[in-house]
Amino acid sequence: MIGNDIVDLALAKKESNWQRKGFLDKIFTQKEQLLIVNADNPEVMVWNLWTRKEAAYKIYNRQTNIRGYFPLQLECFYESETLGTVYCNGNNYHTETKISEDNIYTIAVAEKEYLLQIKHINSVTKITKKNGIPFIIEEFTEIKKPVSISHHGRFWKGITLEFNNPIII
Amino acid sequence: MNKEQTIEELKNIVKPYIANQEAFETLTEETDFINDLKINSANLVDVILDIEEKYNIIIDNESMERMINVKAAMQIIESKLSEKKIDS
Repeated sequence: MIGNDIVDLALAKKESNWQRKGFLDKIFTQKEQLLIVNADNPEVMVWNLWTRKEAAYKIYNRQTNIRGYFPLQLECFYESETLGTVYCNGNNYHTETKISEDNIYTIAVAEKEYLLQIKHINSVTKITKKNGIPFIIEEFTEIKKPVSISHHGRFWKGITLEFNNPIII
Repeated sequence: MNKEQTIEELKNIVKPYIANQEAFETLTEETDFINDLKINSANLVDVILDIEEKYNIIIDNESMERMINVKAAMQIIESKLSEKKIDS
């Protein structure tokens, strides 16, 4: 299982006022808020943690079929600017975050090894949806592969898992 | 407070955050904030904060969890308002 989430920083600045009273309390735990207030760039930290929660939620939603708005239950364990885990009701997800000047992008996986098997897809890839969950069907093998898509502002990102079959000699 | 009035008030609250005008114009109780109105999930917090301010209520985490469509929002507003009446 995989999930991804991207935030266009320029659009986020326009759309959201994270300094609004009550905003952080509804989304971030006390520990996460400490990371935000102590960060060199609190705004980047807000969206860094937010994309982790969103990417992890996409997996949680697919695994459990539970749909809801519970950002506080997706708890970020921050290892570094780029790595961490998100814990949600007994499930742990591994996240990898890329920060650039104009966006923040996080990929979450259910198993850490999957991070090595992520393949990026482009927006012309034929994506099928079943019960709202996207996947692609490989042309020759007809194997169904999970897909996660995120777009925000100027950016579109899609990923799938490349299953690396062991080579038998 | 009647249903139509609450729906109208809710429409005014969500209006700044919607990205699908057509779904907004045909909004019903079944309308989903994220799937139909295409409200950015980070802006759903703003919707919730705006509701809290407008009705002077507190939406606890349990209620927030259900806040994904118009129907749930209306139920939550109604129940929080009636709790307030009992308290006062």
